[in-house]
Amino acid sequence: MIEAIKAFINKFTNPQILFPLLAVVYVFVFPINKFFLRINERLGIYKLWTNAGGALMIGTLFSFFCFGMTDANFRKIVTKPDNVPIVGLLFLVVFFLWFAMKQAYENDARIAAGKRPNEAEDAKEKILVWPDLVYIELIALILCSVLLLVWAMSLHAPIEEPANPSVSPNPSKAPWYFLGLQEMLVYFDPWLAGVVFPTVILLGLMSIPFIDNNTKGSGYYTFKDRQMAVSMFMFLWLVLWIFLISVGTFLRGPNWNFFGPFEYWDSHKLAALTNINLSEYVYMIWMKRELPTNILLREMWGFLVLGIYFGLMPLLFAKTFLKNVFKNLGPLRYSVFVILLLLTLSLPIKMLLRWAFNVKYIIAIPEFFFNI
Amino acid sequence: MGKDERHYNINKLNVVFAVVSVVLLLTLMSVFMNDYDRDWKDYQRQFRTIEIEKARVKLDKENIELSQQAEYEELEGKIAAAKQAYKDKCLAQTELQEQIEEANAKLTLVEQDYKFRKAEFDAAKYRFEHGEAYHEHDVDQYREAFQSLDQQVTKLALDVEEAKTALKSKQRMMDNCGAQLAQLERDERQMTARQSILVRQLDSIDPNAMNLTNQVANMVRDLPILELANPRNKVEQIVLKDVTEDVNFMNVPRVDRCTTCHLGITNPDYVNEAQPFTTHPNLELYVGKNSPHPLEEFGCTVCHAGRPRGTSFNGAVHVPSSPQQKKEWEEKYGYHQMELWEEPMLPLPYTEAGCYKCHSGEFPVKGAEKLSTGLAMIETAGCYACHEIERYKDWPKPGPNLTKLAGKIDKEWGWRWLNDPHSFRHNTMMPSYFNQSNNSDVVSKKRSDQEIHAILHYLFENAQPYPSDRLPIKGDPARGEELVASVGCYACHQIQPEKGDEMVTVDGLRRRFGPNLIDIGTKTSARWLYNWLKDPNSYHPDTAMPNLRLTDQEAADIASFLIQDKNNAFSQHPVPAVNVNVLNDIVLGFLKRADTDQGARNTLAGMKLEQKLEFAGEKLIAQYGCFSCHNIKGFDNAKPIGVALSEESSKSLHKFDFGFLHIEHSKHAWYAQKLKDPRSFDKGKIKAPDEKLRMPNFNLKNDEIEAIVTALLGFVDESQVQAKIKPRTPENLAKEQGEELVAQFNCRGCHMVEGQGGSIHDSVEKWLVDFEEKTDNEAAKVRDSFSPPNLHGVGRKLNPEWLFNFLHEPKQKVRPWLRVRMPTFNFNVVHLNTLVKYFQAVDGDNFPLKINVETGLTDKEYEAAAKLFSEDYFGCTQCHVVGSKLPTGSQDSWAPNLALAKTRLQPEWLIEWIKNPSKLMPGTKMPTFFDPENYDTSGPDDLLDGNENEQIRVLRNFLLTLSEEQQRDVAAPVPETP
Repeated sequence: MIEAIKAFINKFTNPQILFPLLAVVYVFVFPINKFFLRINERLGIYKLWTNAGGALMIGTLFSFFCFGMTDANFRKIVTKPDNVPIVGLLFLVVFFLWFAMKQAYENDARIAAGKRPNEAEDAKEKILVWPDLVYIELIALILCSVLLLVWAMSLHAPIEEPANPSVSPNPSKAPWYFLGLQEMLVYFDPWLAGVVFPTVILLGLMSIPFIDNNTKGSGYYTFKDRQMAVSMFMFLWLVLWIFLISVGTFLRGPNWNFFGPFEYWDSHKLAALTNINLSEYVYMIWMKRELPTNILLREMWGFLVLGIYFGLMPLLFAKTFLKNVFKNLGPLRYSVFVILLLLTLSLPIKMLLRWAFNVKYIIAIPEFFFNI
Repeated sequence: MGKDERHYNINKLNVVFAVVSVVLLLTLMSVFMNDYDRDWKDYQRQFRTIEIEKARVKLDKENIELSQQAEYEELEGKIAAAKQAYKDKCLAQTELQEQIEEANAKLTLVEQDYKFRKAEFDAAKYRFEHGEAYHEHDVDQYREAFQSLDQQVTKLALDVEEAKTALKSKQRMMDNCGAQLAQLERDERQMTARQSILVRQLDSIDPNAMNLTNQVANMVRDLPILELANPRNKVEQIVLKDVTEDVNFMNVPRVDRCTTCHLGITNPDYVNEAQPFTTHPNLELYVGKNSPHPLEEFGCTVCHAGRPRGTSFNGAVHVPSSPQQKKEWEEKYGYHQMELWEEPMLPLPYTEAGCYKCHSGEFPVKGAEKLSTGLAMIETAGCYACHEIERYKDWPKPGPNLTKLAGKIDKEWGWRWLNDPHSFRHNTMMPSYFNQSNNSDVVSKKRSDQEIHAILHYLFENAQPYPSDRLPIKGDPARGEELVASVGCYACHQIQPEKGDEMVTVDGLRRRFGPNLIDIGTKTSARWLYNWLKDPNSYHPDTAMPNLRLTDQEAADIASFLIQDKNNAFSQHPVPAVNVNVLNDIVLGFLKRADTDQGARNTLAGMKLEQKLEFAGEKLIAQYGCFSCHNIKGFDNAKPIGVALSEESSKSLHKFDFGFLHIEHSKHAWYAQKLKDPRSFDKGKIKAPDEKLRMPNFNLKNDEIEAIVTALLGFVDESQVQAKIKPRTPENLAKEQGEELVAQFNCRGCHMVEGQGGSIHDSVEKWLVDFEEKTDNEAAKVRDSFSPPNLHGVGRKLNPEWLFNFLHEPKQKVRPWLRVRMPTFNFNVVHLNTLVKYFQAVDGDNFPLKINVETGLTDKEYEAAAKLFSEDYFGCTQCHVVGSKLPTGSQDSWAPNLALAKTRLQPEWLIEWIKNPSKLMPGTKMPTFFDPENYDTSGPDDLLDGNENEQIRVLRNFLLTLSEEQQRDVAAPVPETP
């Protein structure tokens, strides 16, 4: 029975299943528009942000780890001194997510009832820097020192074998905060995943204040006043960042192969690599003919797809479900916004294409090291 | 600001603050306790208690010993009396005492005054010099100051002298008074030197013995936190500047911290203590101050491996030697394997592996019995043929030549042999390729049957004819048996029908150098055997089997003896017929490697059965690597098929494929498994026939495996220990190259070389009992006389030129009574020179530099020498053969032919030999005529004025005049040739 559960979880946690599932669940947990909001309310998902919901989430996570610790392989991965902070991170993320959303929903209820948000009440109150602020800061500082000292004593520094330039450790993992980027390397070429995307992430974060002209929600937690902004950010943060870090930490083993949480990290495990490029799909599978020798001719379908994706989609969106956004932002800001959005979405799209259709590259010009 | 304006209750916050502060304090204390409580500090504390206990016991013993000495007691009594006398007589002179004190006080004062004035004088001198040099305007003032001080200093110096003299004269009066006491006390100090060392030692370590100040100081310096300054518990380390660790782009000295816990390792007093305090088991060879590997120069991890800087049990990467020990350690030390350290400590059974990285040129590695056995196993089994090993770079192929196979065996025997060589000869070094764990299923079995047919077909088709002579005479098996026992076959061969259970040793392997000579009648014919014995090189040019220069009759006798032994069970094993279908599969598989499926099928259809067999045979020989050990036509330049092993154990563990086997993940466990069942790593894997593991099974016993694993663990990268390797001087190289040849030709099978070998002695003894009608006791006593000579010291003894010629063609009979023969080896010039140089190098003889020695004799001298030589004096001919004249004494004590001395022996050596033979060859039968204890009176007094040196010189020169011809004139009876 327990073995069956473990086997199920091993299969289930495969990103090919877990990622789409998360994406679907996410849409209902953080509804991006009125339609999903109605479903959310009908299903009662918003109850996650009550005390009971919080207890349920933390409780589930906790029981999962308790269950997992009975398994030697799970224990080995989770208690590795490098990975312990990431376990902590999971709990903290869930807790603070719940904490913020709970306050947001309370405020939303108050606003709906014609009252001002909780924070507005707080703002009337004055607090003295000394002793109220500085004193508790000092106490917090002491507690953090205690935590770090105890941690340092109980878990030894994760020192590995002597470095050897001719032998790279297997798996070679980036520092935890880069694991999301490393995960992207599975789907994109290094110049994209390692250079372009991180740059775009930084530029995108910088551009938020200029794109977001919604004046509501300043200084207080709210969900409904900033529904789209919150749900979009949560997707980037939870699904494309935290989730990928967790996958990279716990589920990627030797040779960057995927391993379920209860699986032994066997360095001899083989995973079939059967991916092909879009051009091969078009010419060899659909048209049943040889690949053209002319690079442009060969890759024109990829360029076409990208042209449509970045050229036509913004126009289409502006006419359909982003009509209001287009109206609010105006053409220039809308263009920046929508391009950022499309770039963001390209990661999950590429993942899905890979998993569902074994697509390696949309455009593949290895002659110039240019693969997308 | 009112209280109500505060957000928090300040009193509550105070409480919280107090609590967290206490928590922080406790945490900090536990940080320090954590550090204070490290395992190694505990060990050092424990060690100190043991040390104190030991010192106390020793001191007690010393005290008792002293008190039991009458001399000491007497001395003590004298001292007591002298002290009393001193007190009464000398100390009583109060006036003198006071005077001394006064003089002393005065001297101190004057001396201080002098020192201060001198300092001022120096300063004034500088000031004056400076002023004069720069023409300062107040230079006169400086001059005055300088001059005045100069006078004062001179005067004070005189005063000091005077005070000293005064004191000394008073002191002398006092000293004279106590002179006797001082002398007695000096005697006592001498007597109690050992005791006082112990007392001093205890003073420094034993709290009960030391004074209060030291006690308190020691306690304080060991307190937690304070111990950071200068604690007694310290990490001990040995820094090895010339053994470095590669930390990428630079090398750092190796730092061994093992002695932090292994505190008694160099001290013989701790032999019986438990780990980690126990003494090293072999201080003479390792770690000890006077050993060749002192601790300060070699540390520990250079040999033992492990993590040099580790100061905890797990951090040092100890490795348990058995599962039981692992369990024990887990309970005792919380042991767990530190997987990421690539050089874990060598487990105890394999410790000798650590010797190899520096001693890889030695054959065998002296003092490392197991490692040497492992290396000898590798040599005997011929591992180096498939696996490149630096040490065996140019060694000949270990297996017999198969290019003339058809002249030796028939195909049926060949099939049965390949199918299961161990069923024919239980301890053969021909390994089993078939019926192994990865090819024993029904399908593979069928395939194997046909593979063997194909291989044999290829070998027989490509065999050259072996022109063999018929047996000229009918052999006599009984005589053959005696010849086998006497001429020396048992140095390299055995006749051992049943498996023995003796442990493998280097010496045992020398006797297994050649094949076990059982069941030869089933294998080959008397005719082949006869031809082989007459001239082994005609069948196998590179064979290690030497030519024993057998007569036709002797060869025929031996052949007829060996051929008697037959194995009927083996010859009844059915040989399956050639199965074309299975053969087709095999051929098709090989064809498809280079062709399309259809093309291959077409080719196959066009092949005759013969062609198929030949084609498959060639491919299979290439696949299984038969050519690595055997000469096979068509494979002259083929590369060996195994993994190179020269630095195998420097490979990281993750490169070893453990497959689906559940065994311990360590190199030694992997090697042991590989040797036990080479194909077992295929378990659970789905593989095509030609993808399967190919290493054959040598049917090794556990002790053989352990020895080989020891050697394998030693095959590591040597670059880090270059500084510790014996320097590559011409002498050392000559030694190493010679040792290699000695191993390659199994010289030690017959001879003792550098104190090792002579494996044939047991069989000589057996021959004496079985065929010479000696009793067991007699045989044991005289067996050395009938065995090949001990080669101790031959480098200095033998004339290099003679040695060269003798090794090339051992025609001269130095010891004509020996039945065992020095065979003619197929040595080439390089071999011969190497061997000669080797023997010279071993004895430190500086070949080729030779001094010509004057060996002439005057008539008078000749006469004296002849007398010495004669029965009246030394009676040399009682034991020594001279040309064809045999000794008069018993055959058991016969000695080498003196007629050969002229060409054979070095004149300088002869002098030393006659002077004191036991010194050059301990245990020799040669009597000592000149007693080294009373050398000057030892020789006969009536010759050459009783001058021993002269006697020896003329005797030597006389010996050098002897020759075969001269003796023949005199010689009377012609002896029966044995």
